Amino acid sequence: MSKINTPGARLRRWIVSDTSKTSWLFNPFVTIAGWKALWIGVTVILVAGHLGSYSNTHFDGVLDMHSGRNAPQWVFLAAGIIDWLCMGIIFWIIGKTVVKKPFRAIDVFGTQALARWPALFIALATLPPAYTRFIHILIAYSRTQKMPDGLNPADAVMFGATVVIMLLALIWMIRLMYSGYSISCDPQREKAVRTFVIGLVIAEIISKVIIVGIITGIAGAGR
Amino acid sequence: MKKMPTHCPSCSEQLTVRRLKCAVCETEVEGVYPLPLISGLSNEEQMFVLSFIKASGSLKEMAAIMNVSYPTVRNKLNEIIRKIEETERCQGEPNE
Repeated sequence: MSKINTPGARLRRWIVSDTSKTSWLFNPFVTIAGWKALWIGVTVILVAGHLGSYSNTHFDGVLDMHSGRNAPQWVFLAAGIIDWLCMGIIFWIIGKTVVKKPFRAIDVFGTQALARWPALFIALATLPPAYTRFIHILIAYSRTQKMPDGLNPADAVMFGATVVIMLLALIWMIRLMYSGYSISCDPQREKAVRTFVIGLVIAEIISKVIIVGIITGIAGAGR
Repeated sequence: MKKMPTHCPSCSEQLTVRRLKCAVCETEVEGVYPLPLISGLSNEEQMFVLSFIKASGSLKEMAAIMNVSYPTVRNKLNEIIRKIEETERCQGEPNE
Protein backbone atom coordinates (compact mmCIF):
# COMPACT_ATOMS: atom_id res chain seq x y z
CA MET A 1 0.00 0.00 0.00
CA SER A 2 1.48 3.38 -0.91
CA LYS A 3 2.10 5.83 1.92
CA ILE A 4 -0.42 8.28 0.48
CA ASN A 5 -3.30 5.83 1.07
CA THR A 6 -2.41 4.73 4.58
CA PRO A 7 -5.10 5.46 7.22
CA GLY A 8 -2.73 8.04 8.76
CA ALA A 9 -2.32 9.89 5.44
CA ARG A 10 -6.08 9.80 4.78
CA LEU A 11 -6.82 11.15 8.27
CA ARG A 12 -4.19 13.86 7.78
CA ARG A 13 -5.81 14.92 4.49
CA TRP A 14 -9.19 15.06 6.26
CA ILE A 15 -7.86 17.10 9.21
CA VAL A 16 -5.81 19.48 7.08
CA SER A 17 -8.71 19.95 4.61
CA ASP A 18 -10.50 21.83 7.43
CA THR A 19 -7.79 24.47 7.43
CA SER A 20 -7.39 27.23 4.89
CA LYS A 21 -4.72 27.43 2.16
CA THR A 22 -2.94 30.21 4.05
CA SER A 23 -2.55 28.14 7.22
CA TRP A 24 1.23 27.74 6.59
CA LEU A 25 1.43 31.53 6.96
CA PHE A 26 -1.17 32.31 9.62
CA ASN A 27 -1.62 28.99 11.40
CA PRO A 28 1.52 26.83 11.16
CA PHE A 29 0.48 25.32 14.50
CA VAL A 30 -1.67 22.76 12.66
CA THR A 31 1.56 20.88 12.04
CA ILE A 32 3.95 22.31 14.63
CA ALA A 33 3.38 22.92 18.35
CA GLY A 34 4.76 21.78 21.70
CA TRP A 35 8.50 21.53 22.34
CA LYS A 36 9.48 21.84 18.67
CA ALA A 37 7.63 25.16 18.36
CA LEU A 38 9.09 26.27 21.69
CA TRP A 39 12.74 25.67 20.73
CA ILE A 40 12.36 27.27 17.30
CA GLY A 41 10.39 30.17 18.78
CA VAL A 42 12.82 30.90 21.63
CA THR A 43 15.76 30.76 19.20
CA VAL A 44 14.01 33.23 16.89
CA ILE A 45 13.18 35.53 19.85
CA LEU A 46 16.84 35.59 20.92
CA VAL A 47 18.12 36.13 17.36
CA ALA A 48 15.60 38.97 16.87
CA GLY A 49 16.72 40.52 20.17
CA HIS A 50 20.37 40.25 19.16
CA LEU A 51 19.74 41.80 15.71
CA GLY A 52 17.64 44.51 17.36
CA SER A 53 20.64 45.49 19.51
CA TYR A 54 22.50 46.65 16.37
CA SER A 55 19.89 49.32 15.65
CA ASN A 56 18.88 49.81 19.33
CA THR A 57 15.44 48.40 18.54
CA HIS A 58 13.73 47.19 21.69
CA PHE A 59 10.78 44.78 21.77
CA ASP A 60 9.72 46.48 24.98
CA GLY A 61 6.20 45.09 25.30
CA VAL A 62 4.14 42.31 23.76
CA LEU A 63 3.01 44.68 20.98
CA ASP A 64 5.76 47.30 21.26
CA MET A 65 8.93 48.08 19.45
CA HIS A 66 10.91 51.26 19.96
CA SER A 67 14.24 52.35 18.55
CA GLY A 68 16.89 54.73 19.77
CA ARG A 69 17.73 53.97 23.42
CA ASN A 70 21.17 52.47 24.15
CA ALA A 71 21.18 49.44 26.46
CA PRO A 72 23.33 46.42 27.29
CA GLN A 73 22.90 43.38 25.03
CA TRP A 74 21.08 41.34 27.72
CA VAL A 75 18.25 43.92 27.88
CA PHE A 76 17.40 43.27 24.20
CA LEU A 77 17.42 39.50 24.77
CA ALA A 78 15.48 39.65 28.05
CA ALA A 79 12.75 41.87 26.56
CA GLY A 80 11.80 39.25 23.93
CA ILE A 81 11.77 36.46 26.51
CA ILE A 82 9.61 38.53 28.89
CA ASP A 83 7.14 39.33 26.07
CA TRP A 84 6.83 35.64 25.26
CA LEU A 85 6.50 34.54 28.92
CA CYS A 86 3.80 37.17 29.57
CA MET A 87 1.79 35.92 26.59
CA GLY A 88 2.27 32.28 27.59
CA ILE A 89 1.38 32.76 31.26
CA ILE A 90 -1.65 35.00 30.61
CA PHE A 91 -3.10 32.72 27.93
CA TRP A 92 -2.47 29.65 30.06
CA ILE A 93 -4.40 31.30 32.93
CA ILE A 94 -7.21 32.43 30.59
CA GLY A 95 -7.36 28.95 29.03
CA LYS A 96 -7.63 27.31 32.46
CA THR A 97 -10.40 29.78 33.36
CA VAL A 98 -12.62 29.63 30.27
CA VAL A 99 -11.88 26.24 28.66
CA LYS A 100 -13.43 23.16 30.23
CA LYS A 101 -11.37 20.59 28.29
CA PRO A 102 -7.78 19.87 29.29
CA PHE A 103 -4.88 21.31 27.27
CA ARG A 104 -1.08 21.24 27.55
CA ALA A 105 0.89 24.21 28.88
CA ILE A 106 3.76 23.33 26.51
CA ASP A 107 1.45 23.94 23.53
CA VAL A 108 0.47 27.39 24.85
CA PHE A 109 4.10 28.40 25.47
CA GLY A 110 5.36 26.72 22.30
CA THR A 111 2.84 28.33 19.96
CA GLN A 112 3.24 31.76 21.62
CA ALA A 113 7.03 31.51 21.17
CA LEU A 114 6.76 30.61 17.50
CA ALA A 115 4.09 33.28 17.00
CA ARG A 116 6.78 35.89 17.65
CA TRP A 117 8.82 34.92 14.61
CA PRO A 118 7.71 38.00 12.55
CA ALA A 119 9.84 39.95 15.07
CA LEU A 120 12.80 38.60 13.11
CA PHE A 121 11.63 40.55 10.04
CA ILE A 122 11.21 43.68 12.15
CA ALA A 123 14.74 43.33 13.52
CA LEU A 124 16.12 42.74 10.01
CA ALA A 125 14.20 45.72 8.61
CA THR A 126 15.78 48.04 11.16
CA LEU A 127 19.36 46.98 10.31
CA PRO A 128 20.05 49.34 7.35
CA PRO A 129 21.99 52.43 8.58
CA ALA A 130 19.43 54.73 6.87
CA TYR A 131 16.82 53.71 9.48
CA THR A 132 19.16 54.47 12.42
CA ARG A 133 20.26 57.80 10.83
CA PHE A 134 16.67 58.93 10.48
CA ILE A 135 15.88 57.84 14.06
CA HIS A 136 18.76 60.05 15.29
CA ILE A 137 17.39 62.97 13.30
CA LEU A 138 13.94 62.43 14.83
CA ILE A 139 15.46 62.28 18.33
CA ALA A 140 17.43 65.49 17.69
CA TYR A 141 14.29 67.18 16.35
CA SER A 142 12.25 66.14 19.40
CA ARG A 143 14.90 67.69 21.68
CA THR A 144 15.57 70.95 19.83
CA GLN A 145 12.33 71.37 17.84
CA LYS A 146 14.60 72.26 14.92
CA MET A 147 15.27 70.07 11.90
CA PRO A 148 19.02 69.24 12.00
CA ASP A 149 21.24 69.60 8.95
CA GLY A 150 22.07 66.63 6.79
CA LEU A 151 18.58 65.18 6.37
CA ASN A 152 18.72 62.79 3.45
CA PRO A 153 15.30 62.28 1.73
CA ALA A 154 16.34 58.72 0.87
CA ASP A 155 16.69 58.01 4.61
CA ALA A 156 13.15 59.28 5.16
CA VAL A 157 11.84 56.99 2.41
CA MET A 158 13.76 54.07 3.87
CA PHE A 159 12.38 54.88 7.32
CA GLY A 160 8.83 54.99 5.93
CA ALA A 161 9.30 51.61 4.22
CA THR A 162 10.66 50.14 7.47
CA VAL A 163 7.65 51.41 9.42
CA VAL A 164 5.32 49.76 6.88
CA ILE A 165 7.22 46.46 7.23
CA MET A 166 7.01 46.80 11.03
CA LEU A 167 3.25 47.35 10.94
CA LEU A 168 2.64 44.41 8.60
CA ALA A 169 4.87 42.16 10.71
CA LEU A 170 3.06 43.28 13.86
CA ILE A 171 -0.38 42.47 12.36
CA TRP A 172 0.97 39.11 11.21
CA MET A 173 2.36 38.46 14.70
CA ILE A 174 -1.00 39.24 16.35
CA ARG A 175 -2.73 36.88 13.92
CA LEU A 176 -0.22 34.14 14.77
CA MET A 177 -0.69 34.77 18.51
CA TYR A 178 -4.44 34.34 18.07
CA SER A 179 -3.96 31.12 16.07
CA GLY A 180 -1.58 29.83 18.75
CA TYR A 181 -4.05 30.58 21.55
CA SER A 182 -6.97 29.21 19.58
CA ILE A 183 -5.30 25.91 18.66
CA SER A 184 -3.56 25.27 21.97
CA CYS A 185 -6.46 26.10 24.32
CA ASP A 186 -9.38 25.37 21.93
CA PRO A 187 -11.77 27.96 23.43
CA GLN A 188 -15.37 28.09 22.18
CA ARG A 189 -15.58 30.09 18.95
CA GLU A 190 -17.73 32.86 20.46
CA LYS A 191 -15.35 33.30 23.43
CA ALA A 192 -12.09 32.99 21.48
CA VAL A 193 -11.72 36.53 20.11
CA ARG A 194 -13.01 38.25 23.26
CA THR A 195 -10.72 36.33 25.62
CA PHE A 196 -7.77 36.77 23.23
CA VAL A 197 -8.16 40.55 23.18
CA ILE A 198 -8.46 40.68 26.99
CA GLY A 199 -5.36 38.47 27.34
CA LEU A 200 -3.39 40.54 24.86
CA VAL A 201 -4.15 43.80 26.69
CA ILE A 202 -3.24 42.30 30.09
CA ALA A 203 -0.01 40.77 28.70
CA GLU A 204 0.91 44.10 27.07
CA ILE A 205 0.47 46.01 30.35
CA ILE A 206 2.39 43.46 32.44
CA SER A 207 5.24 43.11 29.91
CA LYS A 208 5.54 46.89 29.60
CA VAL A 209 5.72 47.32 33.38
CA ILE A 210 8.37 44.58 33.73
CA ILE A 211 10.54 45.68 30.79
CA VAL A 212 10.36 49.45 31.12
CA GLY A 213 9.93 49.63 34.89
CA ILE A 214 12.20 46.88 36.13
CA ILE A 215 14.60 45.62 33.43
CA THR A 216 15.50 49.04 32.06
CA GLY A 217 15.90 50.28 35.66
CA ILE A 218 18.34 47.45 36.50
CA ALA A 219 20.25 48.05 33.27
CA GLY A 220 20.45 51.79 34.05
CA ALA A 221 21.64 51.15 37.60
CA GLY A 222 24.28 48.67 36.43
CA ARG A 223 25.91 51.12 34.04
CA MET B 1 -16.98 2.53 1.22
CA LYS B 2 -20.73 3.15 1.25
CA LYS B 3 -21.94 5.20 4.19
CA MET B 4 -24.91 3.70 6.01
CA PRO B 5 -27.74 6.24 6.21
CA THR B 6 -28.49 7.14 9.81
CA HIS B 7 -31.18 9.79 9.34
CA CYS B 8 -34.43 9.76 7.40
CA PRO B 9 -34.04 11.64 4.08
CA SER B 10 -37.66 12.77 4.41
CA CYS B 11 -38.05 14.04 7.99
CA SER B 12 -34.40 13.91 9.24
CA GLU B 13 -35.33 11.74 12.25
CA GLN B 14 -32.87 9.03 13.26
CA LEU B 15 -33.39 5.71 11.48
CA THR B 16 -33.58 2.34 13.24
CA VAL B 17 -32.65 -1.13 11.99
CA ARG B 18 -35.69 -3.27 11.07
CA ARG B 19 -34.10 -6.32 9.47
CA LEU B 20 -30.81 -8.18 9.84
CA LYS B 21 -29.63 -11.01 7.60
CA CYS B 22 -27.00 -13.74 7.98
CA ALA B 23 -24.80 -13.65 4.87
CA VAL B 24 -24.09 -17.40 5.13
CA CYS B 25 -27.41 -19.15 5.84
CA GLU B 26 -29.62 -16.22 4.87
CA THR B 27 -31.56 -16.34 8.15
CA GLU B 28 -33.36 -13.06 8.65
CA VAL B 29 -34.21 -11.41 11.95
CA GLU B 30 -36.77 -8.66 12.20
CA GLY B 31 -37.21 -6.17 15.00
CA VAL B 32 -36.52 -2.58 15.95
CA TYR B 33 -32.87 -2.00 16.85
CA PRO B 34 -31.43 1.46 17.49
CA LEU B 35 -28.28 2.35 15.58
CA PRO B 36 -25.10 2.60 17.66
CA LEU B 37 -24.12 6.14 18.57
CA ILE B 38 -20.89 5.96 16.57
CA SER B 39 -22.85 5.42 13.34
CA GLY B 40 -23.86 9.08 13.56
CA LEU B 41 -20.27 10.08 12.88
CA SER B 42 -18.88 10.57 9.39
CA ASN B 43 -16.61 7.91 7.84
CA GLU B 44 -13.53 10.00 8.62
CA GLU B 45 -14.63 10.57 12.21
CA GLN B 46 -15.23 6.84 12.67
CA MET B 47 -11.79 6.15 11.19
CA PHE B 48 -10.33 8.72 13.62
CA VAL B 49 -12.00 7.00 16.61
CA LEU B 50 -10.71 3.60 15.44
CA SER B 51 -7.18 4.96 15.01
CA PHE B 52 -7.42 6.50 18.47
CA ILE B 53 -8.32 3.12 19.98
CA LYS B 54 -5.58 1.36 17.98
CA ALA B 55 -3.07 3.94 19.28
CA SER B 56 -4.12 2.98 22.84
CA GLY B 57 -5.62 6.41 23.29
CA SER B 58 -2.31 8.14 22.69
CA LEU B 59 -2.89 11.49 20.99
CA LYS B 60 0.87 11.90 20.72
CA GLU B 61 1.09 8.72 18.64
CA MET B 62 -1.90 9.81 16.54
CA ALA B 63 -0.20 13.15 15.86
CA ALA B 64 3.01 11.35 14.79
CA ILE B 65 1.09 9.00 12.45
CA MET B 66 -0.84 11.86 10.85
CA ASN B 67 2.12 14.25 10.82
CA VAL B 68 0.13 17.03 12.48
CA SER B 69 0.57 18.74 15.85
CA TYR B 70 -0.74 17.34 19.14
CA PRO B 71 -3.30 20.13 19.75
CA THR B 72 -4.68 19.67 16.21
CA VAL B 73 -5.45 16.02 16.97
CA ARG B 74 -6.80 16.85 20.43
CA ASN B 75 -9.09 19.56 19.01
CA LYS B 76 -10.44 17.08 16.45
CA LEU B 77 -11.16 14.66 19.29
CA ASN B 78 -12.91 17.46 21.22
CA GLU B 79 -14.99 18.17 18.11
CA ILE B 80 -16.06 14.49 17.90
CA ILE B 81 -16.83 14.45 21.64
CA ARG B 82 -19.01 17.56 21.19
CA LYS B 83 -20.81 15.88 18.29
CA ILE B 84 -21.47 12.72 20.32
CA GLU B 85 -22.68 14.78 23.30
CA GLU B 86 -24.99 16.71 20.96
CA THR B 87 -26.40 13.43 19.57
CA GLU B 88 -26.88 12.15 23.12
CA ARG B 89 -28.78 15.32 24.02
CA CYS B 90 -30.99 14.91 20.91
CA GLN B 91 -31.70 11.30 21.84
CA GLY B 92 -32.67 12.37 25.33
CA GLU B 93 -30.42 9.93 27.17
CA PRO B 94 -26.84 8.68 26.87
CA ASN B 95 -26.36 5.61 24.68
CA GLU B 96 -24.66 3.34 27.23
